[in-house]
Amino acid sequence: MTLARRPKWRFGINRWWVLLFIVLGVVAAAAWPPIRPHVQLPAEVISAAPLITLPLIGPIYLTNTLVALLLADVILIGLALTVRRSTARGKMVLGGISSALEALLEVLFNLTESTAGKRAKRIFPWVATIVLLVLVVNWMELIPGVDSIGQLHPAEGAAEGHPVQVLGMLGSLPVVTIVKGALEESGGFTVVPFVRVASTDLNFPLALALISVVMTQIYGVQALGAGYFGKFFNTRTLFNKPMFGAIDFGVGLLELVSEFSKVLSFSFRLFGNIFAGSVLLFVMGSLVPVFVPSMFMMLEFFVGMIQAVVFGMLTLIFMSQATAGHAEGAH
Amino acid sequence: MEGDIVAAATVLGKMIGAGLAMVGVIGGGIGIGVVAGGAVQAMARNPDASGMIQTNMILGIAFAEATAIYALVIALMILFVF
Repeated sequence: MTLARRPKWRFGINRWWVLLFIVLGVVAAAAWPPIRPHVQLPAEVISAAPLITLPLIGPIYLTNTLVALLLADVILIGLALTVRRSTARGKMVLGGISSALEALLEVLFNLTESTAGKRAKRIFPWVATIVLLVLVVNWMELIPGVDSIGQLHPAEGAAEGHPVQVLGMLGSLPVVTIVKGALEESGGFTVVPFVRVASTDLNFPLALALISVVMTQIYGVQALGAGYFGKFFNTRTLFNKPMFGAIDFGVGLLELVSEFSKVLSFSFRLFGNIFAGSVLLFVMGSLVPVFVPSMFMMLEFFVGMIQAVVFGMLTLIFMSQATAGHAEGAH
Repeated sequence: MEGDIVAAATVLGKMIGAGLAMVGVIGGGIGIGVVAGGAVQAMARNPDASGMIQTNMILGIAFAEATAIYALVIALMILFVF
């Protein structure tokens, strides 16, 4: 038996890095006591002029959640290019991040195949896209600097302002931080972050939910033809059995309502979970700045993953239900 | 003076309203408990089927949780929007 190579540092170098960061955290929390963060529900606008002006809808500004969504897109395209580069080399065993993505997609495809059967190949792209996008967007809240690095704005309205301390100069730009302390006459400042998690803006979950539900209807019509709408306007038993036929018709109308409520529940589930999660992270970070936030980071890691999987899985189930039809269903 | 009282009453109303809105979370909690309890019993009886049970359990939890999330969204809206 050979002894394992003895590391140069006891316990390995990574634990000492962790210890260093804990000590730095204690020092930083002592030097700049954390302040209670200002929480705002709508996304903050960070561009002065509108990006584009659409008819009917009006001007569209660059918000910080839009920046986060574009960053997530860049990350996903980068991942895709990495996988493409490593498959182009013709190796059977991909290395590194491509392998991890292969494993993730394999799990997703097996799940899709076990639920949707022979239609798995048509449904899978939607499920995988939604899972990957929501996963990357949700995990963005764990990156330090997201939600905390931004421009200073004078506090207005309900926002609580804080005094400002200059830390240093970066070129000609001053680097400042807001500190705890008594306010002067000016009213103080708040930070408007450059990047805020896209799921904390209701527009992003709503758009995904609309895509998911509309595509479900389109796939249903493609698979079953006009008979798909028989699920909603159920007149098959209305004439030969008037009593139960009327009940069936009412149930069909309830199905129609449930299609609309799917949009609502899809979007509010993702939005509520992630917004509440980031508020939890702010508040915990401001109450107990050392040790405790890491536990909640772990919690948010799992919440972000579970919400991504749930969004994808519900899309998968609704799509396979819509394409299954009556003949091969439970009866 | 009167403005102060109005502002204080607004804050008071917001806080009480948000707290009352979160009462709806009770239902979600009970639902998730029932779902997870049933799934654990099923897995204990038939450990081979635990993969499928787990998938369905997470799905059921997501549905049960949705109602609690509605209450949470309303509470957040009361606190931060109005």
